[in-house]
Amino acid sequence: MTTMRKALSVAVIMAAVVAPTLLAAQSWRDVTMSRQIEDNREVRVLVEYAAGRLTVRPTAEGLLYSMNLHYDEDRFEPVADFSGDRLRLGVESIGRSFNVGRGKQSGELDLELARGIPMELDLEFGAVRADIDLGGLALTALDLSTGASQSTIDISEPNSVVMSAARFEIGAAEFEVRHLGNLNAEFIEVDAGVGQVTLDFTGRWQRDARVSIDMGLGALELRIPEGLGVRLRKDGFLVSLDSEGLVKRGGAYYSLDWDDADRKITIDLDAAFGSVVVEWVR
Amino acid sequence: MPKHLFRNALTAFGLAFLVTTTAVEAQLRDVVSKEVAVGRSEATLRLELSGNGTLEITFEDGMVLIDGESVGVFEPGDQLEAAWWSLLGQARSLDDGELALMLSDWSVPAELAGELADLAQEVDRALEDALSSFDVTVRSDDATVSMSIGDEGSLLQLLLNSTSRLGLMQQALSGLGGDFALHIDEDVDVPEGTTVDGTLVVIQGNVRIGGEVDGDVVVVDGTLELLERSRVRGAVRLADARLVRNLGTVDDGLLYLLDEERVLETEIRREIREELQDELRSQLRRELREVTRLEFSDDDDGFSLMAPFRSVFRGVGELFKNLISILVLGLLGAGAVAFAGTKVDTIAETARSAPGRSAMVGLAGSLLLIPVWILGAIALSVSIIGIPVAVVWLPLFPLAACAAGVMGYLAVARNTGEWLADSEYPWTGWIRKSNHIYTIFGGLFGLMFAYMAANVVSIVPFLGFLAGLLVFAGSIVTFFAIQIGFGAVILTRAGKRPEWSTPYDADAAWEEAMEGDIEDVEADVEGATAEAQGDDDDA
Repeated sequence: MTTMRKALSVAVIMAAVVAPTLLAAQSWRDVTMSRQIEDNREVRVLVEYAAGRLTVRPTAEGLLYSMNLHYDEDRFEPVADFSGDRLRLGVESIGRSFNVGRGKQSGELDLELARGIPMELDLEFGAVRADIDLGGLALTALDLSTGASQSTIDISEPNSVVMSAARFEIGAAEFEVRHLGNLNAEFIEVDAGVGQVTLDFTGRWQRDARVSIDMGLGALELRIPEGLGVRLRKDGFLVSLDSEGLVKRGGAYYSLDWDDADRKITIDLDAAFGSVVVEWVR
Repeated sequence: MPKHLFRNALTAFGLAFLVTTTAVEAQLRDVVSKEVAVGRSEATLRLELSGNGTLEITFEDGMVLIDGESVGVFEPGDQLEAAWWSLLGQARSLDDGELALMLSDWSVPAELAGELADLAQEVDRALEDALSSFDVTVRSDDATVSMSIGDEGSLLQLLLNSTSRLGLMQQALSGLGGDFALHIDEDVDVPEGTTVDGTLVVIQGNVRIGGEVDGDVVVVDGTLELLERSRVRGAVRLADARLVRNLGTVDDGLLYLLDEERVLETEIRREIREELQDELRSQLRRELREVTRLEFSDDDDGFSLMAPFRSVFRGVGELFKNLISILVLGLLGAGAVAFAGTKVDTIAETARSAPGRSAMVGLAGSLLLIPVWILGAIALSVSIIGIPVAVVWLPLFPLAACAAGVMGYLAVARNTGEWLADSEYPWTGWIRKSNHIYTIFGGLFGLMFAYMAANVVSIVPFLGFLAGLLVFAGSIVTFFAIQIGFGAVILTRAGKRPEWSTPYDADAAWEEAMEGDIEDVEADVEGATAEAQGDDDDA
């Protein structure tokens, strides 16, 4: 299965990334960067971060971004490039050799992004402990890909603009997304390799949505708020589905209130070798 | 405003700046972005300021660098370094106005003396120079000139360097009336939704207009960008300046002005261009004569009566060869459809649904063909049992690879034929999509169209270049068709594995087309039918 192959390759890549991180000689540097908002045009934001702790949250008005970085200057260099409508933030490797036997710290990236500025957000991170709150941002699209991470994504406040698509590409991870309803997305795609994935569909649903989940090896927990109409179409191999609260009609599972629900989501699930649990949230 | 007031203001401004400094109000520039970096042996402050200003001050390994240039040395850990670290500590938590104010207010610490105090003075001056901008307002009874200058240096430089351009400036500014906003050595942005009242004059700066200017726009030695929906209610005068984009509206038109030097340069360029054109024309004429002479001359010994028809014979002959190729390939395709139709379907579907992946796999497969062939032969030859197999392997492997390539090409041709059948191109009406033999023949005509067009074009004299382009296009099409087809054959293991193909899903297509739920529609239909039956029963 492609997701399994992807998960394994991500795991190998992450091992290659993480091991040197733990073993390298480190020379730490702290950088604070910020930029003012110059106009209200849509911005395409790319955040790249290989290893360490990552925090993303909305910032106060007036700033397009504010970033605090703590990183090993022998291995990485900061990136804050704003040209046209593209904003690139994070760190990039400078590919120097590593010394074995030293290094206890991990890098940190604290990033704050502007509220109210329409944004296409692309988050790419590797071996990272990520704590991300996208609540209050005006996201027109979201693309998040992660390797071996422990990530919590929260959309604590509703997105003020319609999001065409949100994509989560997860390697080997413990991954939780909260308040997916606040994304205001028309289409949500989750492609997970190995790990434990929790998708919390609470939040304020402003439109019907389609959700596509491609899960490799692992446990998937779907937290669904009562009152939200759910249709689950499952396709997979050796997958156990705890479908409490869902009734099977034809080839799909439906929530009891599917016909009467104000907002409906259709979940297409393709999984192998794992368990899927549906938990209803009051 | 009378024009003499403005001209006087501009030309006398340098003196006025030095003498009547009370008319000049120093303001702080906006800090567009900041970077504070603190490392093991380095502490840096980088600022990007409004009007394209930048400043970088670095304390690194005992040296102080301002915009990359060393201005002095310090001892790591001394009072100057401590003061700098303290300043950066404050800068980290401040932005924009507060940051600019804090940095410009910074002064040499009292405890510093001697060379360190001088060095601190340099840093202080650099901060103040970078952060200060000067705004001047000159008022008369009936008009106002507001001036904004990037920095003092730019104004003095402008005045010193502009003696040769005064005529140009005078020309650019002549006849202008009303209020002026004058910007010297700084960029100006008029965002959408905003209006500049009066004339906007920018000297040595770039102007970007998204909103409106209720007057004229004069740009001297800079660029002008008029965005969509922007409007200039007067005229635009570009003096030694360039219009990089014009999507807006200019009520009174554009006027280009060049200084004498530039006019002279333009004149010289024009003369050079004309000379070059003449030279090229005469050279082209010579070449044409030469080509014509060659066309009418025999390869060996001069003129031949058949020479004028040689290109016709050559073109028709090549066209005939291509038609034969299509016939042979089409017959092979018909055989493949007859004896292995399902496999051809799988390969074609894979090529259609995953063309990028197929092309990549095909390319990789092509590159690996020879290494695999050689290594396979070597591996088989090392054992006694393997030797007879190697004897078969050596001729059969290339044959199998060629067969795979042909099969893939035919599958791609089939897809091309289906596409042509759906299209409304002329002469494609005969392609019946329901019959794969038709679609294969149609696709082959499509894929080889560029070659055949090249054959026809090559008949016409002097169109050799066009024929060459068509042959190149045909080669590209053929290359990709073979790579995609070969890749699809590999991916499907010669049509046995349909993983990468996505057969037509009628439900999905219907749902997409109706943007609704087919089950809901079915339910509605069932409901309507039941209702109708109820009505019938009642009746």
